[in-house]
Amino acid sequence: MAHFEIKHLTFSYASSNQKNSLQDVSLTIEKGSYVVVCGKSGSGKTTLLRHLKTVLTPHGVRSGEILFGGTPLCEVSQRDQSSKIGFVMQNPDDQIVTDKVWHELAFGLESLGCDQKTMRLRVAEMASYFGIQGWFHRDVAELSGGQKQLLNLASIMAMQPEVLILDEPTSQLDPIAASDFLNTVRKINLELGTTIIITEHRLEDIYHAADKVVVMEHGKMVANDTPRQVGALLYRQNSEMFAALPAPVRIFYQSNASGQCPLTVREGRSWLTSTFEAKAPTVTEPVIPPVKEPTGAPALRLKEAWFRYEKDTPDVLQGVSFEVPAGQLFAIVGGNGAGKSTTLKAVCGICKPYRGKVEIFGKPLGKYKSGELFQNCLSMLPQDPKSLFVKKTVREDLEEMTKDEKKAAQAAELCEITELLDSHPYDLSGGEQQRAALAKVLLTEPKLLLLDEPTKGLDSFFKQKFAKILKKLQGEGITIVMVSHDVEFCAEYADLVSMFFDGQILTTDTPHRFFGSNSFYTTASNRMSRCVFRNAVTAGDVVSLYQKNMEARA
Amino acid sequence: MRKQDAFSRYHPVVNFLFFLCAIAFGVVIQHPAYMLAGCLGAALYYVLLKRSKGLKTLLGMLPVAVVLTCINPLFNTRGAHVLFTLFGRPYTLEALFYGMIIAGMFLVMMLWFGCYNEVLTSDKFTSLFGNLIPSLSLLLVMVLRLIPNFMRKTKQIIGARNCIGKGANDQNTRKEKVSDGMTILSALTDWALEGSVVTADSMRARGYGTAKRSSFQLYTMTTADWVLLVLIVALSACVIFAGGTSATFTPELEISHISWGFFAYCILLLIPTALQIKEAITWHILRSNI
Repeated sequence: MAHFEIKHLTFSYASSNQKNSLQDVSLTIEKGSYVVVCGKSGSGKTTLLRHLKTVLTPHGVRSGEILFGGTPLCEVSQRDQSSKIGFVMQNPDDQIVTDKVWHELAFGLESLGCDQKTMRLRVAEMASYFGIQGWFHRDVAELSGGQKQLLNLASIMAMQPEVLILDEPTSQLDPIAASDFLNTVRKINLELGTTIIITEHRLEDIYHAADKVVVMEHGKMVANDTPRQVGALLYRQNSEMFAALPAPVRIFYQSNASGQCPLTVREGRSWLTSTFEAKAPTVTEPVIPPVKEPTGAPALRLKEAWFRYEKDTPDVLQGVSFEVPAGQLFAIVGGNGAGKSTTLKAVCGICKPYRGKVEIFGKPLGKYKSGELFQNCLSMLPQDPKSLFVKKTVREDLEEMTKDEKKAAQAAELCEITELLDSHPYDLSGGEQQRAALAKVLLTEPKLLLLDEPTKGLDSFFKQKFAKILKKLQGEGITIVMVSHDVEFCAEYADLVSMFFDGQILTTDTPHRFFGSNSFYTTASNRMSRCVFRNAVTAGDVVSLYQKNMEARA
Repeated sequence: MRKQDAFSRYHPVVNFLFFLCAIAFGVVIQHPAYMLAGCLGAALYYVLLKRSKGLKTLLGMLPVAVVLTCINPLFNTRGAHVLFTLFGRPYTLEALFYGMIIAGMFLVMMLWFGCYNEVLTSDKFTSLFGNLIPSLSLLLVMVLRLIPNFMRKTKQIIGARNCIGKGANDQNTRKEKVSDGMTILSALTDWALEGSVVTADSMRARGYGTAKRSSFQLYTMTTADWVLLVLIVALSACVIFAGGTSATFTPELEISHISWGFFAYCILLLIPTALQIKEAITWHILRSNI
């Protein structure tokens, strides 16, 4: 039986001048199925999901019908809707209502007026299922982002919903926490039979598990099929969304291979192995452009910097030493809490190392006068771009940095936000906010730009756009240092990659050599292709190697 | 999780009732014996709870108490025994005694409230009223969460602005500093409003307002809780009805003889300390038996 049935749903926001955010969407979701909704930011995914719960449905003009278990959704009582339809949102922090973990778990049940006995049992059940017992009594503020989002999920599951709707639940999490979270969601689907409807940027973790993939574009549903079929369809249509698909799928179609498309790294491996089983590949390594030896003085140099936050806490930086050659895009990767962000703070002079040296363009940090450092020299884009917006429109925000309107317009153009100048910064999507914040940062005319997790929460389309802007800046001679969890992004666009672990920089190398020699901390393309190719790090590498070998055979 | 002492592990109602009685008696009864007992009892538990840190605070409070004692006769000149005259005003023994009582009151209050803060954490406090007024206690909980959130976001904004050269700077004039502060404040408000929209959605999505709220009780009353509760009520009743607590200082010292109520008061004060010691002994025996 169908759980949700959406019939010819068309919707436009009251403020959007008749432009439809949803255009004739018809969709049937079966009980117990796992449905992935994907699409670019602003394609109507969130609007669609919000229609599946009356209290969250946006205001506007709508036509069409939504049935929940056979009855029109608007006729299902609020009480039934709140317990049967669970909704997890993007921001882990703002969703939490109370200050203690146990209280948050009980919140939904309290609202429904459950009695003590039922409540205790349900809360206990959920805490055990999600492994929350250990932090049951803690303050919510002490939790990590991943724990917070898990708590949000658990507190909704305590109400025992039949459907779980998740709107980009992992966009604010680091990759490890994100894949933990998505695995839990998968477990709920498999073990409890809860229907899952999820939108995500990180398709790698969920694409293969989906029963159905729905692709949205400009408010229209352009595909609705099994993952394999959708992959083929998007490739045929030459869709922008193709770039968002998991690496094995992309490599398979771009190589013009035939047979069944692999969805996971494991399937990709066996596809490549069987292809080259009879005849070993003749070319096994990608052509790597020769590395230009950096000339001139390094833009940034850290020499054995040591730092800790309090006198009696452990050292966060334990002798960090590295050099960033001028004009390079330098990426620092590494686990959570390893001290990557602290390193950036040390470069900015916000954290002062108690031992060691920080030199910027050959001059020790201490020698810069206050104010001088951030004028035409150094600038940092923080992890949360929102923390840079202080005005009512993007334009005013840019004008806060410079009186020169022409300069502001130039920066806006470079970051491709010219049409967005008159919007409120908070009305922009994640990717747009990131670019607006970058424009603001660029108005200090930095020569050294620091980026803290710049690709967090961006979809693949915006990532490409962002990378293009970074390359443009590099072309203008700006040195970029980026701290990131996004292995794929670093492999594709960085000039040098460093591994940060345990308060130190362990190695620094070019992406090919760096990721090629790693076996776990590397890109999906590399993990998939290392059985036949060497040092193929990006999807492009694998595709070109595959094609070369096929040509050699023919 | 934080280490808890024996008394903190009792039900919040028991904790709350104890502090209510101890603080009320400490402030209302001015009898010197009671005051001394109150100070000692509170100090003992305070030091047990906060260890060396507590001892430091306690030592820091003593000079304040001495000052309070000495100041009273300056304002209150009534009394039969004049010790000396200061600025032409008599400095009397009775007023000095009364000063001691005021200082004692101050000490008792500070110490008991110090203990109260350690024992009755915010979640215990809200759970006390959660059953009576669920919506009010929810409001309280949300406010408690809001304040540290606001502080964190302020820090984040200031940090981010520092890194683009918009931070506090020695060269800034006062006017610039004020306008910068206003900018940050307005950004914070925007941010908070944005967040509260999400929170409201999240609350409604989880059925807020669809039924009469109930309240999850983390703590349940056990037999031990009831026993202690009854004990506290009984001892307090003894203190009130046994009498012998009256004392006047000026113009003449008139202190009544202490009655058996005083012993009830001492037992009451020693409850948390005794529980702590009892637990230490029990564990010592248990461990040596292994």
